[in-house]
Amino acid sequence: MTDHELDQRLRQSVLSEEVDASRIESVVRNHIQGNRWRAFLWAAAALIVVAAGLSYRVFYTDPLPAICAAAQQDHQREIVNGAPRRWLTEDSAIRSLAETQGISAQAVAALSSTGYRLERARLCFLEKQVFLHLVYARDGSEYSVFLHSPDKSEDRGNSPRGGAKVAYLQTPRVTAVFVSRERGAITFARAGANVL
Amino acid sequence: MPHVAGLLRVARRLTLDPAAAEDLVQETMLLAWRGFRGFERGTNARAWLFRILFNVFHGRARRARYSPEAGAGIIRPMLQEAAEIAQALDALSTEQRAVLLVCVVEGFSCREAAGILDLPIGTVMSRLARAREHLKKMLEPMAKAAYK
Repeated sequence: MTDHELDQRLRQSVLSEEVDASRIESVVRNHIQGNRWRAFLWAAAALIVVAAGLSYRVFYTDPLPAICAAAQQDHQREIVNGAPRRWLTEDSAIRSLAETQGISAQAVAALSSTGYRLERARLCFLEKQVFLHLVYARDGSEYSVFLHSPDKSEDRGNSPRGGAKVAYLQTPRVTAVFVSRERGAITFARAGANVL
Repeated sequence: MPHVAGLLRVARRLTLDPAAAEDLVQETMLLAWRGFRGFERGTNARAWLFRILFNVFHGRARRARYSPEAGAGIIRPMLQEAAEIAQALDALSTEQRAVLLVCVVEGFSCREAAGILDLPIGTVMSRLARAREHLKKMLEPMAKAAYK
């Protein structure tokens, strides 16, 4: 028997066997489809979580209080445009003025310890409330800080919120709005959060 | 689903156990599906599947030691001559049987068989030659009877 004859007989013998692969094909197909469904469900769940997170950030981020807009307008009018007003410039007078508004004189001094120099102060109205308007200077820029003795019910911790030009901060002792013409309001607010 | 029948045919001759053969092919197909990214487009998909099949078979054999005798006699072709050839094939060692199945039955070249079986091509060729010799010896009585 030659190699060729042997190969032919062997091939014929093995290939003559009946092979039913349908059961295997069915099992494999079901497994693959099941995995595809699982992958699809995982992807959908991940998408929902991401969408929910984004929606929360977009729609439920705590907005800055209206007082911030009023503070920005006041800063524009009083500091940027330089409206003629009577300001207190002596430290002792400013501290006394703060005390009359229920604001600790130490808070005023503490803000000065963050690298900003207290220049002047006066009282002003923002949203029908009296605020102590302090003007600080640093690197040739002027910053307004509006302080108010807060309502106890509004205590939200002392993490500053806001952006480059206006930032809001509330501690158990004081409500503060930081305003700058260019940038730096939030930086000042963060420094203030550590000392107020 | 292409190539499954061929895989199953070889798996049955390798394991000599229909149930184990089905498991082997099933695992091969699932591994192929999971590892499809590893398949190089343009290369021989059939050879790739057979390579996976033999990897799985050798892995299982290392773990559990397939015993060809255990299932012998279960898979049988219908014709008398085919039955005797199959019996002779089953009596070969697994290594020789594998090389015959891949090269002769499935028609892969020795180079392709070397890739599938993860062996040097020289080893494939020598095993093939020895397997043919053994098979011829076992089938000699049948050949003589045919020429009587």
